[in-house]
Amino acid sequence: MVNLIIDDKQVTAPKDSTIYDAAKLNGIKIPILCHDKKLKPFGACRMCLVEVEQMKGRQIPACTTPITEGMIIRTATPEIIKARELVLELLLLNHPLDCPVCDKAGDCDLQNLTYDYKVDSNRFSDLKFQHEIDYNNPLIERDMNRCVLCGKCVRICDEIVSYGALTFIDRGIETKIGCEFEKKLDCEFCGSCISVCPVGSLLARPFKFKSRFWALTKHNSVCGYCGTGCNLTLGVKDNKVLTTVYDENQGFHKGQLCVRGRFGYQFINSDKRLTKPLIRKNGTLTESTWDEALELVAGRLKGGSAVAALATPRLTNEELVVFKKLLLDSVGTKNFDHAAGYAHAALTEGFARSFGTSASSASILDIQKSDLLLVIKTDSYETHPVVGFEVNMAVKNKGVKLSVLSDKRGKLSKLPHAQTLVHLPGSEVAVLNAIAKTIIDEKLVNTHAASVPGYAELEKALSAFSAEVVAAQCGLTAADIKKLATDYASAEKAMIIFPVGQAYTGHNADLASAVANLAILTGKYGKEGCGVLCLSEKNNSQGAVDMGFYAQNGGLNGLQILDACTDGTVKTLFVAGENPLTSYPNRSKVKKALEAVEFLIVTELFLTETAAMADVVLPVCSFAEKTGTFTSADRRVQYVKPAISKNSQLKTDFEVFSDLIVKLGGQSSSTPAVLFGEIAATTPGYTGMSHESLKSEGAFAAVSMKPAFVVPQATASVAAEAGKLALVTGSALYHSGTQSQYGEGPMHVCPEGYIELSRADASTYKIAENDLVTVSSAEGSMQLKAKVTPRMPVGVAFAPYHFTAAPINTIWSGAPVTLVSVAK
Amino acid sequence: MNPITPIINGMKITFKHMFMKPVTLQYPTERPKVAERYRGLHGLKVSHSKAKCVACYLCPTVCPAKCIRVEAGEDANHDKFASVYEIDMLRCIFCGYCVEACPVDALKMTGEFELANYKRSDFLYTKERLLEK
Repeated sequence: MVNLIIDDKQVTAPKDSTIYDAAKLNGIKIPILCHDKKLKPFGACRMCLVEVEQMKGRQIPACTTPITEGMIIRTATPEIIKARELVLELLLLNHPLDCPVCDKAGDCDLQNLTYDYKVDSNRFSDLKFQHEIDYNNPLIERDMNRCVLCGKCVRICDEIVSYGALTFIDRGIETKIGCEFEKKLDCEFCGSCISVCPVGSLLARPFKFKSRFWALTKHNSVCGYCGTGCNLTLGVKDNKVLTTVYDENQGFHKGQLCVRGRFGYQFINSDKRLTKPLIRKNGTLTESTWDEALELVAGRLKGGSAVAALATPRLTNEELVVFKKLLLDSVGTKNFDHAAGYAHAALTEGFARSFGTSASSASILDIQKSDLLLVIKTDSYETHPVVGFEVNMAVKNKGVKLSVLSDKRGKLSKLPHAQTLVHLPGSEVAVLNAIAKTIIDEKLVNTHAASVPGYAELEKALSAFSAEVVAAQCGLTAADIKKLATDYASAEKAMIIFPVGQAYTGHNADLASAVANLAILTGKYGKEGCGVLCLSEKNNSQGAVDMGFYAQNGGLNGLQILDACTDGTVKTLFVAGENPLTSYPNRSKVKKALEAVEFLIVTELFLTETAAMADVVLPVCSFAEKTGTFTSADRRVQYVKPAISKNSQLKTDFEVFSDLIVKLGGQSSSTPAVLFGEIAATTPGYTGMSHESLKSEGAFAAVSMKPAFVVPQATASVAAEAGKLALVTGSALYHSGTQSQYGEGPMHVCPEGYIELSRADASTYKIAENDLVTVSSAEGSMQLKAKVTPRMPVGVAFAPYHFTAAPINTIWSGAPVTLVSVAK
Repeated sequence: MNPITPIINGMKITFKHMFMKPVTLQYPTERPKVAERYRGLHGLKVSHSKAKCVACYLCPTVCPAKCIRVEAGEDANHDKFASVYEIDMLRCIFCGYCVEACPVDALKMTGEFELANYKRSDFLYTKERLLEK
């Protein structure tokens, strides 16, 4: 700590602080336009000028000057105030002063400072800028006439998002922010630039003219898309969520969001939301009352050994538990599952066997504290973009080494010094086994590893996986595998990240065991910056696992339930929020099952294709309308409360399940808070938590590990046959599950399904970008738009699974790799 | 004093007033002259054949009676305009803060004071009714 005097006040601050940080830490406000605490100091705006006595009273910028022992700083002498007024006058000289029509008004740093410093006249005169305004972008409106050139947008896009879409162009008075060669903005649309813009140069187009900033009520919430568990502030007016508001103090990610978090909120107030229960009468779904619908559902559930249920991991922990109670105690069935029954297997089977717990042994916070990150599949960025930002920052700012093991290249492969090993699709486990074998052969094994149960078996089983053999099978070189192994083993702290989800069938229990073996062999778990982080797909996937909402004790799992529907053993299927018709593999099989089942109950926000097949559809609430907790991928339990009051016609899933329990003669917890008390008492790691204690900040559920070596079953890699491509499925950057289809933001940027091909394959099959191609597999055939990208290896194609209009499960039966032929 | 005197004095005044201009107006045949700064019904000023209002929401923000409802829209030139502008005259207290707050001088208060109506709904003045004729 360094001692210094700011404005006659004796203060202390950490050694690496700037004057600005030190002042802020001690509650002294220095005005500034170009600073954000996530970004590196830049010193562009000159508003933060201060005087340092040791520097002979010279005015220096507080944001770029490091503090030294005994500094005497003054932040508000008459000379400084005069200088700041001058800076403001010069900024306002070219500023259009169109505050009445600028959406930033009320939240504008320039406006606030102008008011604070009472700059109401200007001694200079000049023309205003006449830059062309970009109205065409669906999400980000750019009006460079208002720009003060603080460079925050440029820096956040480079330093954190690592995309580099924006840059300073031209020089001198003509300098402006734009895309290279003044091309149109075509980026990830995370909106980070909008969030940091101190003026109204970059604005969220979906929010344009919707409300003034001061009229919004701000509600803290937790994002309802992926498992990262980002915190959100929803801007609400007239009981409508109109926007997301940036708060740099929020969450581990400091307010940083991705496209779906920032722009995907429209589904909450969508006109397409269901408002009344629907009951199938004479073949058509007709509006009904809750009494009638619940009575009907309760009647079907009564004494139902032929009942099964699928739930979405977007439900809160409380809802999942009350649903489980309904099924186990009131209905009496063990057949319930979530996420198609396999998307959680890495946790429930893989980690459960290898670490003795169904949870990740590392947190997202470890990413920046590590020395080496091993990312399995570049898709970690696409499934969990904000985790991707953490990786970006770790690599770019902290010098963390990055190794990527993937079947295609991706955003993460572009990071500085990133090492990407592109293997043949489907061979992850074999490569990981080869890495494990190299670690053993090169004697890089941790001293405690030999005493972990299963070591001898693993060593024996790995004998078939020498780097040379695996390299030849997987399209890699033995040297690469060996280098990755030695890098990983010799790093002091190393962490493995891999995504799981409904589109990643290969990311199963075996993959989890294979990565866990590496961590256990080298002792890289249970320490800061080490461990294995399994990125579960949905916002409460980890919660669903923690609550035990999956097939156990002989219950049927997700896919078995569908089979049982087809063969008639399951007669009533209760689907809470899932959309299996789009998101589960093998569409024709799912369709047959849903048609075959006698009675289909669906609770949903929208009339999805699955809901359209139902006998009863119950309209329920989104995350912004209910109380409960979500558990993120790294087991951070976070509290959500209603940001808007729900439509009086709707019930939350909690109320629906509770009502049904009562109708079936049981007793249900009165509120989610009471139920969470029970959860905290019975769930390992949740001890001591309560809604009250989670209100201000989430808490990590402790993970206790009992490591063991498990021999993972390696699947053979799939090489493309002549005339066929190996299709891998996955998640698109802009989407999460099928819910993001109802968020307008994601649909503006990525409105339809596509198939991504390498340039070589595209030229072989004479396919150009945006061509409609027919993709056929053994399952069926469908038409998809082609996207030709340099990241795909030859012989491999990629398709995302989110779209109802282009359901990839038409051609995908759930295999990690599907052989397809493409034709124009 | 002669008891007749006060009566005569009184009658004098009465008689004098019979030849003076009456203070009362024969409303509605006669109309009062409203002072220029009188705060009557609001009017939305028009310039270049459209309302000057840019829907900045300062009037609903400042309004102490919360009687103004504005909704902004985007026109073909991407400019902001008030797609909805409503004043609830039953709530309005005619303080004139809205006029004072207007940054673009789009709002005025006219001399119109005859605001009686038969139905409650008629007191809701829409943009159409408020536009300066």
